[in-house]
Amino acid sequence: MANRDRTPNPCKELEEDLVLLHYSDLAGAERHALQDHLVSCAGCTGYLKELATLLPLTVKADEPSQTFWHDYSRELRHKIDAVSEKQSWRQRLSGFFHPWSIPALAGAAVVMLALTLTFGKGIWQSNDLPKDDAAMIEALPVAENLEFFKAMDVLDDLDLLESMGNQGDAA
Amino acid sequence: MNPGDEELVARAQQGDRRAFEELVERHKQKAYYIAFDFSRDREDAKDLSQEAFLKAFTNLKKFDGRSSFYTWFYRILVNLCLDYKRRQKRAPTDTFDETLESHMEPSHEPKKPRSPDQQVFAGQISRRVGEALEALPARQRTAFILKNHQGLSIKEIAELMETAEGTVKVHLHRAVTALRQSLAEFA
Repeated sequence: MANRDRTPNPCKELEEDLVLLHYSDLAGAERHALQDHLVSCAGCTGYLKELATLLPLTVKADEPSQTFWHDYSRELRHKIDAVSEKQSWRQRLSGFFHPWSIPALAGAAVVMLALTLTFGKGIWQSNDLPKDDAAMIEALPVAENLEFFKAMDVLDDLDLLESMGNQGDAA
Repeated sequence: MNPGDEELVARAQQGDRRAFEELVERHKQKAYYIAFDFSRDREDAKDLSQEAFLKAFTNLKKFDGRSSFYTWFYRILVNLCLDYKRRQKRAPTDTFDETLESHMEPSHEPKKPRSPDQQVFAGQISRRVGEALEALPARQRTAFILKNHQGLSIKEIAELMETAEGTVKVHLHRAVTALRQSLAEFA
């Protein structure tokens, strides 16, 4: 902090341009104007010097050896091989699913479903009904027929009674 | 004459593996150094830059050449680095420790041996710089690293960050101001 106090402050409105000038990224008229200004402004000159001292400190240098770069390339080649292998599998798999094959497969599935529903009704019914149930299913229509015949007998009896009554009246 | 990036990309898009490997050889060092500037860790920088190449390889067919391969590829890399930083913030580790320098292999350039005082000072600076960079918002940090560490032009950074040049200048200025405050004692 002590150093900051010693450094005069730059002109606020020129700070952004001073940063660009430090990085040699200020062109033409702006650069000339700023350089002219620097001649007479201690604050801006000090700021520029401070940037020149401070900013290089932020760079952490790393110089890997040749072996590192050799290993880097070899390792990356292996990784690319693995990715290519995966990609070729995907391509082979996607070969089965061409755009034209999707509607064809869907159509075939619909036809299969329709055929199954039409002709295969009995297929899914269970044949192992309990014996009692099976007997009941067979007996039910017979029982219904018996009821019918019984009703017919009653009608016959009524007709008989009626004719007997008529004979009595006549006598 | 060496083929340009565009030609190599076109060949790689046709399935020429050698062409892609040539692109890797061309860009691997710069890619590694950018990743290192973000991560400040050799292994992470290697993984991040390799991951960027793999991503470029798998998405190469989608690359339409509207921007240069350089811009497209470094955009992938920077996004991976920013994701890495986000992940790291969620699970913080002591990345910027003073032992970092001891993990590095010696440079090819002969260096003068440092005195113990100099080593302590270098360690302090390294840690403080790391903390100061870490404290910057992601876009300010990106603009700063690409300018200060990599020397990209404002135009290149704007293309890479998909933003206006004026916005990059503002990010850069804010980053420098924040770092100047954080590192005032070393100035």
